[in-house]
Amino acid sequence: MKKKPASLIKPYVLILPALALAVVFAYRPFILTLLNSLHTVSLQGQRLSFVGLENYQRLFANQSFQASLSNTLRFTLYFVPTNLIVCLGAALLSNRKGRLATLNQVFFFLPMAVGLSSSMMILKMMFNPSIGIINQLFNTDIQWFNDKRAAMALLVIAGVYLDIGLNFLLLQAALRNVPSELHEVATIEGANGFQVFRYLQAPLIAPTFVFVLMTNIKDAMLISSPVLILTEGGPFRSTQTLVYQMYLEGFKSGNYAMGSAIATVVFLLTFTVLLLLLHLERRRVYYQ
Amino acid sequence: MKKVTAFVATVFSLIVVFPIFYSISASFFTYTDFTSIPARLLPSRPTLENYYRAFKESNLEQFLANSLVTASLGTALRMVISILAAYTFSFFTFKGRDVLFVLIVATMLLPSDALLLANYSTIRSLRLTDTYVGIISTTLLAPTHIFMLRQYFKTVSSEYREAALIEGCSDVRFLTTLLIPISKAVVITLAIHSFSTIFNDYLWPLLVTNKESMRTVQVGLTMLGFSENLDYGPQFAAITLLITPILIAFIAMHKPIQTSVSTRFAGR
Repeated sequence: MKKKPASLIKPYVLILPALALAVVFAYRPFILTLLNSLHTVSLQGQRLSFVGLENYQRLFANQSFQASLSNTLRFTLYFVPTNLIVCLGAALLSNRKGRLATLNQVFFFLPMAVGLSSSMMILKMMFNPSIGIINQLFNTDIQWFNDKRAAMALLVIAGVYLDIGLNFLLLQAALRNVPSELHEVATIEGANGFQVFRYLQAPLIAPTFVFVLMTNIKDAMLISSPVLILTEGGPFRSTQTLVYQMYLEGFKSGNYAMGSAIATVVFLLTFTVLLLLLHLERRRVYYQ
Repeated sequence: MKKVTAFVATVFSLIVVFPIFYSISASFFTYTDFTSIPARLLPSRPTLENYYRAFKESNLEQFLANSLVTASLGTALRMVISILAAYTFSFFTFKGRDVLFVLIVATMLLPSDALLLANYSTIRSLRLTDTYVGIISTTLLAPTHIFMLRQYFKTVSSEYREAALIEGCSDVRFLTTLLIPISKAVVITLAIHSFSTIFNDYLWPLLVTNKESMRTVQVGLTMLGFSENLDYGPQFAAITLLITPILIAFIAMHKPIQTSVSTRFAGR
């Protein structure tokens, strides 16, 4: 059957919107970011002259950037294990039957219903050192926004609060896919809770766990909005992260070249994590 | 042992839900309730004053309207674009199909946060700052949606489409009367997901809007000016107004939400 020219063009026309968006809002800005990071850039965003890796040299010698890089990595280091333990704990504890269990489950994923800026504003007010409910309830005087360690802890709490809903749902779904007959048999055979987890549940939820782990690492490296709303990088840059500094350089100081160099570093970091994820997914072991 | 688990789980889940509970409760506080000792968890005498002030002293309804418009428009366009692309990639054979598919889906690897600066200069040079189009522009391409819809569409035999085309049915009619109705569950899940993503987006709308009248509610909420003056009542009232409808929806639909996540992952 000979096709008419119109039907030959048709598929291209149908995918054109998606393709155009991919070029305009993903590939072109990606290339521009790489290019800008190798040039001096005017306040209007025009590339002036090629400077090679000079921006990167300046960047890595820049104390503010060193702080951002170290804060981002430290945040990732604190946040990822905390979040995994909390979310997996919630999933395991509520993996029961009955009305109370359902109520627990609903409470665990309800934070998902609260958008990012609402939840950050709630935390900001709850953790206010003078009239916030947290210090009042525990009768403490923790300077959540003026103490470096407390501010980092607050950011970790904020990160967990943002992620618990979805991560709980994913892990819970994986746990529920563990056949209940196996669970029963193991219990009858005298396996205790830990053994059931170690030898039955853990291997079966491993793929989901790895997925959650990797997306957690990626999200942690990209954290910026909670910083913007809660701490604005303070005190003394102790919570200033890479994407937050990129935002500052690009939008507050008009330093596009530096901002682009930071963005490129962020690309490299997240690429590494994503490639690792793809690699692990391919090697993923199926038990069923 | 079972009782201990249930007890620990319940305490834990109450801690998790506490900020939501407190936010709702504090929206009815009087000004002095926030500073009373010992700390209050419930209002001394519930008042609606905060809600009144939240509306009167800010542009909350304007922000909300902006968010509803951008989230609806963004979701509609995003679904149309995704469905068209997924449909084409599942049912058509054409030169470069696989390369183009990979090209679109690979944009997943470029985190939008790192593209912010360059995307902002695109939008600025197109003079789209402070417009609805500018706000939704970067959210219109959803590679994960295209990928998932294509996975689903591929389970539909192409013989259906061939038979329909021979009967003189157009692509549009095939899509709207057959393919979308039988993919209803996936399409609705993705649409809800899109709506909440665009509605909850914070950083991009913050960057592309300068005029107060164009702010979305997520951005506006952080700039109401109450919390800076430790005037928490109206701020909590604004938050409560915003989250209550979504909370109710989540509680009412808790079953489908839980199962949709598990089936999504079972199908991965």
